[in-house]
Amino acid sequence: MTFEALDFYDIDSLLTDEERMVRDMVRDWVDEQVLPDIENACREGIFPNEWRVDLGEMGVLGAPLKGYECPGLSYVAYGLICRELERGDSGVRSFASVQGSLAMYPIWDFGSEEQKSHYLPKMTTGEWIGCFGLTEPDYGSNPGDMITRAEDNGDHYLLNGAKMWITNGTIANLAVVWAKLDGVIRGFIVEKGDPGFTTPEMTGKHSLKASVTSELVFQDCEIPKDRILPHVEGLRGPFSCLNNARYGISWGAIGAAQSCFSSAKEYALSRIQFNQPIASFQLVQNKLAWMLREITKGQLLAYHLGRKKDDGTWFPEQISLAKMNNVDIALEIARMARDIHGANGILDEYPVMRHMANLESVKTYEGTHDIHNLILGRHITGIQAFTREP
Amino acid sequence: MTIAVLLKQVPDTTAKISVSGGRVDESAVSKWSMSPYDEYALEAALQLKEAGEGDVVAITCGPARAAKMLTDAAAVGADTLILIPDDGVTDSTHVQSLLAAAVKRSGSDVVLCGKQAADTNGGSTGPGVSHLVGAACVGMVSEVSAGGDGFIALRASPTGNERVEVPRPCLFAFDKGTTELRRPNVRGIMMAKKKQIETVTSDDLGVTIGASSVSLQSHSPPPVKPPGQKFEGSDSVPAVVAKLRDEANVI
Amino acid sequence: MDVTIIAETTADDLHPVTSQLVGAAITIGGTPTVLCPGGIGAAAAASISGVAKVIGVEGDCFETFDSGAWAAALNPLVSDGVVLAASAPSGREVAAQIAAMRGIPIIQDATGLEGGITVTRGIYSGKAVETVSVSAPCALTLRPNAFDAAADGGNADVSTVSQSSDVGVAVREAIAKVSERLDVSEADIIISGGRGMGDPANFTHLYEVADFIGAAVGASRAAVDTWGEIPHNMQVGQTGKTVNPNLYIAVGISGAIQHLAGMRSSKFIVAINKDPDAPIFGVADYGIVSTWEAALPVLKSELSSLLSN
Repeated sequence: MTFEALDFYDIDSLLTDEERMVRDMVRDWVDEQVLPDIENACREGIFPNEWRVDLGEMGVLGAPLKGYECPGLSYVAYGLICRELERGDSGVRSFASVQGSLAMYPIWDFGSEEQKSHYLPKMTTGEWIGCFGLTEPDYGSNPGDMITRAEDNGDHYLLNGAKMWITNGTIANLAVVWAKLDGVIRGFIVEKGDPGFTTPEMTGKHSLKASVTSELVFQDCEIPKDRILPHVEGLRGPFSCLNNARYGISWGAIGAAQSCFSSAKEYALSRIQFNQPIASFQLVQNKLAWMLREITKGQLLAYHLGRKKDDGTWFPEQISLAKMNNVDIALEIARMARDIHGANGILDEYPVMRHMANLESVKTYEGTHDIHNLILGRHITGIQAFTREP
Repeated sequence: MTIAVLLKQVPDTTAKISVSGGRVDESAVSKWSMSPYDEYALEAALQLKEAGEGDVVAITCGPARAAKMLTDAAAVGADTLILIPDDGVTDSTHVQSLLAAAVKRSGSDVVLCGKQAADTNGGSTGPGVSHLVGAACVGMVSEVSAGGDGFIALRASPTGNERVEVPRPCLFAFDKGTTELRRPNVRGIMMAKKKQIETVTSDDLGVTIGASSVSLQSHSPPPVKPPGQKFEGSDSVPAVVAKLRDEANVI
Repeated sequence: MDVTIIAETTADDLHPVTSQLVGAAITIGGTPTVLCPGGIGAAAAASISGVAKVIGVEGDCFETFDSGAWAAALNPLVSDGVVLAASAPSGREVAAQIAAMRGIPIIQDATGLEGGITVTRGIYSGKAVETVSVSAPCALTLRPNAFDAAADGGNADVSTVSQSSDVGVAVREAIAKVSERLDVSEADIIISGGRGMGDPANFTHLYEVADFIGAAVGASRAAVDTWGEIPHNMQVGQTGKTVNPNLYIAVGISGAIQHLAGMRSSKFIVAINKDPDAPIFGVADYGIVSTWEAALPVLKSELSSLLSN
């Protein structure tokens, strides 16, 4: 069944043929491969390997990166990919975000020539999976105070510390890990099998169940000298990655919201109470109209931000606004959709509760909702409010 | 030699069809797609190409919007894209002569198409074109491969399936094929967008579109189904079966 | 007006749809001549009331189905009026080839016909209907069972003509129909069972009916969840498959909203349920209030007698 996306303002007409074709390709893939299997994947808590293979074959991993056999698509195309994937499930979009924006991007932007040509070709095909280690058990919104340390040990670096909430961790072939070397944050490429590196999976999640979440543990982990990312120091490194991932999320959340809207609309039209479809009740119509309104605004926000990414006229606070807004409304839409579905809304026969639970994570990761508010607050006032220090 | 595949862009089979003023409202169609049987033909053509039978020439007769479908075909591997504008075309005879002329021009000695298009639900194009280009016609096909004196095809027969051999030139009209049309990838899409679509008019093809005695009177929505009927007891089964055959026409 | 009918035949007899072609020819004021490819069914065709003439067209070319060869052999015997054939795979192909040979228009799969000639037919897979006018000479194929058959009791002259044409298609291997289980997402007819079947073993009754009519067997989620023997790939509904067959027969399925979401776009829906208030009756075109134990045997025997005709 082809998904008919809500496109109230005909944003479709603003897309290039190439963007539309990429969108249709991913949309069909989600309909044919993800949706029939997603509940099963959630129940088992796995990210099916076939999805990795398919994403690689479609050539959408690292979508906006150019060269090194990467796709070289526009940022709008990358956004559309994220939107279609997250219409399926936030876990699938997370996989692609982490691979492209958090693992491939730092190698592409900050890596040496050797690192780029060694890693990127096999990451864009999905042959190698990457993950990104920034957050730690005790340092989430405040990554600058991270504990993980690297030490120059002559012919190698020695890593010690732990990262947490790492998407793809256990299934990854490599991790881009941010650690302090002589007090300065640097990026390191750690490969599966490096001595002293383990990736225990975190279980018991009520959210993003079709996504692998792990810890990365470094106990005197030895890595060769040529695995440091030579071209970046400080928080700028991880934050550049996050900008791209957050941008993708601003599109992805709209995909989840569209899925919820479409399910709610179908349900409201077919569910009969008091001898009429519940869609005929004003309170239900009010909810649907609100969803339409917020989705349309969110689409315009994401689209325009995408064009700004493409012509290089964006700044990070614009991404914060889009990520924060679109995830926020998506979560509200998911809750509202669950409400319209009545008791049926809690069943896995409908996607709404799954999206709702997923979006709780999405609201929190890649900069929590509140942190993005503070980023905007600083932008407006010129006064940072992250800490009490002036 | 090249492999010709005849494609048609139609409203997606999931799209709503609305009728206003006695005509189907094409502007209300939410999505246009390649006709499903044509997709099987295209996939078979691509497999023949991979087996070394030559490049794939995708040909359509339709309005300008059909260019998008040709680009979609290029994204999965069609090599040459030909759009014949359907100006003045009113019946299938016209379409057949234009397509047949384009096939001859392409120099293909094997032609693949769907057994019928999902909009007109006709089914005359394949057999008609086969006659006009002097090719043997095999319908209800689900698989084609090179072999024997030309090609070996699997087609439906009244008692099951049969494997038939046909020499070149020949035409295969596809029923549901064994293999679904492959999914494109980004690389294919990037190449496709650079691919030129050749617009070939009836003048270019030397085809004169004559008058036709076929004229469309009107389109109308399908007859409204009568409200459901409820019958008591198993004695009513024969009456229901009779209705299914005579009124509903489904068995 | 001369009407040339291309008889639809089975391996060794006239197909009953041929009488419907004759009936339709008469309603448009035609004088029908019936051509019997391979000479099959000529005597039977002659006994259809209203037929003016029957020509058994014999020749080696009719031994294999090659629409081009058949059309080439039949075409010299076609007269300049209307060509009628059945809208079956062979009839459609042959008629289209004859039309191309004669340079006349063809309209396929007509469901209505009036003198003059006005044709109605479904387009967009039945989502709309078109009405077109056309004048002789032309070719038309008619949908089986959409037209009243002419009665028996005719006594037309039968002649035999030998024709030859070049056959391009050679059959190398016949592959008998295997009675593989169709998937619900592909079938034109689906018969589904719900928890009302009482026991998964009772699904054999559904399979028996399905085998008669080439249907796939489906199930409701309640049945799939209750009985491990019913696999998930049979499930029709919100989380199962969304289907839109020509005919959907729901047996012992109450019609939860999740089930309806997966099958309500079926063209025709028949429901068999013992509870007269079951919601499935709300979407059924034909509802039968009965236990499946009573209804299925009758359904089976009705279908078998229908198909043996």
